[in-house]
Amino acid sequence: MEKKGAKRLAVLDLLEEHGGRLPGVSNRVSVETGVPAADVYGVASFYTLLDRPNAGIRVCQGLTCKMEGADELLAQLKNDGVPHEAVSCLGQCDRAPVAIDPELELHQMGARGGVTPDNPELPMNLGGNDDPDWPALARAIELGEDGVIDAIEASGLQGRGGAGFAAAFKWRSVRSQPETQRYVVVNADEGEPGTFKDREIMLRRPHLMLEGMAIAAYAAGANTAFIYIRGEFPECRRSLQRALDETRADLSWLDIRFVAGHGAYICGEETALLEAIEGRRGMPRQKPPYPTVEGLWGKPTLMNNVETLCCVPSILLRGGDWFRSQGRGEAGTKLYCVSGHVGAPGVYELPLGATLDEVVEAAGGYVGTPRAFSPGGASSGFLPMSMRATPLSFGGLAEVGSMLGSAGLVVLNDTVDLAEAVLWQQVFFEDESCGQCTPCRVGCSVQRQAVSSYLQSGDPNTLRHSEEVAWEMDEGSICGLGMVASLPLTSAMTHFPEDFGRREAARQSE
Amino acid sequence: MSQDREEFEVIIDGQRTTARPGETVMAVAERLGVDIPTLCHDPRLDPTGACRMCLVEVSTQRRMQPACKFLAEAGMEVQTGTERVERHRKGLLSLYAADHPLDVDGLPQERATGNQLRAHTLSYGTGPNLPPIEAGRENRVDPNPYIHFNAESCINCARCVRYCDEVEAVSAITLAGRGASTTIATADQIGLLDSTCELCGGCIDTRPTGAMSEVQSLGMLGQDEERVRTTCNFCGVGCQMDLHVKEGKVVRVSSPPPGETLNDGNLCVKGRFSWEFIHHDERLTEPLVRDKDGVLRPTSWDEAIRVAAEGLLGVKERHGADALGFISSSRCTGEENYLVQKLSRAAFGTNNCHQCAAT
Repeated sequence: MEKKGAKRLAVLDLLEEHGGRLPGVSNRVSVETGVPAADVYGVASFYTLLDRPNAGIRVCQGLTCKMEGADELLAQLKNDGVPHEAVSCLGQCDRAPVAIDPELELHQMGARGGVTPDNPELPMNLGGNDDPDWPALARAIELGEDGVIDAIEASGLQGRGGAGFAAAFKWRSVRSQPETQRYVVVNADEGEPGTFKDREIMLRRPHLMLEGMAIAAYAAGANTAFIYIRGEFPECRRSLQRALDETRADLSWLDIRFVAGHGAYICGEETALLEAIEGRRGMPRQKPPYPTVEGLWGKPTLMNNVETLCCVPSILLRGGDWFRSQGRGEAGTKLYCVSGHVGAPGVYELPLGATLDEVVEAAGGYVGTPRAFSPGGASSGFLPMSMRATPLSFGGLAEVGSMLGSAGLVVLNDTVDLAEAVLWQQVFFEDESCGQCTPCRVGCSVQRQAVSSYLQSGDPNTLRHSEEVAWEMDEGSICGLGMVASLPLTSAMTHFPEDFGRREAARQSE
Repeated sequence: MSQDREEFEVIIDGQRTTARPGETVMAVAERLGVDIPTLCHDPRLDPTGACRMCLVEVSTQRRMQPACKFLAEAGMEVQTGTERVERHRKGLLSLYAADHPLDVDGLPQERATGNQLRAHTLSYGTGPNLPPIEAGRENRVDPNPYIHFNAESCINCARCVRYCDEVEAVSAITLAGRGASTTIATADQIGLLDSTCELCGGCIDTRPTGAMSEVQSLGMLGQDEERVRTTCNFCGVGCQMDLHVKEGKVVRVSSPPPGETLNDGNLCVKGRFSWEFIHHDERLTEPLVRDKDGVLRPTSWDEAIRVAAEGLLGVKERHGADALGFISSSRCTGEENYLVQKLSRAAFGTNNCHQCAAT
């Protein structure tokens, strides 16, 4: 029961300031905020960065980093006696393997990946110059709120966070709520293994994102915008702050607040993110009601992904039809994050619906003999090269039982044991399940253990219930994490049965 | 707007009925006598829909929805027993079983205070037989004398946490950790005696699987206990409670279910845990009067009251009424306390009367 006057909003920041889940901190934060100490402790124990505040060097365990030598990096740290910990994907797949230091700054990494070279014809054009004048915001005010939403509708823009939901529908839904206290939230909690496009946008085109955000706030009738930014991306936050200091646009009507994440993949899920902003454990809410109706503090909330907002300025400046025509089958261009066995990992802007070969060509071509690809992050599973002609679009991939998700494209060549790659992905979901609902909480462990047992024993019988457990996780889970968390395993078993047959036992699992 | 407030029709398992705005599918189904299994549902708490036991098919939704939380809508058709729902229940119970202590038959263990998970498994069956998971929960060692928590049999429904927060407003416990290692904790894992806990034991009554239990009753199984409904006599509120009697002795006290009695499923530390005096050697169970040798001897109530009255009247005669004083107890009801002051003022003529809670 929320006590009157409790400063719930400050809980996460104070926990960070006082050192996370260390003895005495919860009580101290409780005294300072009026939120019960047990409750504070529950929050602290939920977020990786608060739960284990003295972890030392955090080494990424994402699929790409594992492929590129994360284990060697861990071994080296162990050898050198440096305190370290293995953590979920850090969103730096283009420079894998990576690690971050206790201040969350990059500890070891290769050079940042490439982007598509400057081309003013591209809607987002990461290689181009960022415009601090925000001309599209002025255009939005000319068009009026409904005019903006009409333009978005005409563009056919789909949300770039993963679900591909029609952006205009969401915008209009918030705009049409009778409640006038509304919020805009930018979901910059990029965390899907294989994905690093939002990071790149915030570093290269912060103005574009902020401008899109301001337009969204204007159209939705919101006067407060929250930017929920992944805690492991301090550089992005600095970049956005610099852009805000720099812009010449009038922002007197809009209160912009940054909220830092504290290490929880699930907070990329929109309702979990709302819980995190409110200072609670990031456990997803039941939908419906959707955030457009009951979001932050129960008020209508328009939440968009960073990339979605970056599409908005060009739509207003050049028209919805123009944007629509940039895609193939679906509207606009898409930032594809390419990593793994390719020549030049990076973020490449191609028509939405491009094929694997086109995207990989932009990323320097295949390295070795490609065998599998994960089209959209861990949640999209693994597909065989026979599907290389599938349009990498929301609809195209849904048709083959996969998903575009956040377009974190990882290419695997024939040096990778798919069963092992599956284990890495299942470890990720097991670590990141919030634990609220049973299908996901227990199911993620059941699936991960099945793969571990298989790798240890070489007995395919250990995997016999995987499909049925996957069905229950899909049907029974509260949110999308649990629904798709079995996909790495089930898709690999379907497309690469040869990697899941009887094999030599006594293989050491991770 | 006014139209929204009117009753509307919904169909549950083919039965037509009316529902009011704001009513959950569960509430409407209950009225119709349609049974939907639950684990994390307690009518006193805000529904969370987290245990997934009550998922049903709703015509307006692609995904199955939790009946405890999903609101009924006009024209909605609900199905609670389709093949999909049944497959889901079996699959879900398989997953629960993979993270729960099982008996020799592979069923969730029976517990003194019951185990709804076991009951549901017996009713709905399970799907695949899964190997147990390594959950890696943090176990709290707690020396408090009343409330025992067994993390391994906890299903993370958070009823205890929500009860402590929403009903008692004490917030002594929380969900802690993440994923499979999620468990119930106190701040910094301190003992309940050091926390804000008031040891009301409501967590024990609301838990569905027996993960919380009375320290005094550990190791007992509940089937052969007789329940005796009685009124708590620790104060005048009049909470109803159920004495669990085994072989003529009280072994546990529980609260009647929410909604049944005025205490709505709640008890306090005294009512729930302070029952050991019932069978205490030194408990007085009959009136005693001291004989001329100074030894207490059993007697009848009539005799005892006569002796007391004589003694009191004797004092009044020798020293006046104000030499008397009457002190009653907060363990008496309001009516009884009223009668004591009546006795003091009207029968003996003194205003020297007090009650231990009347400071």
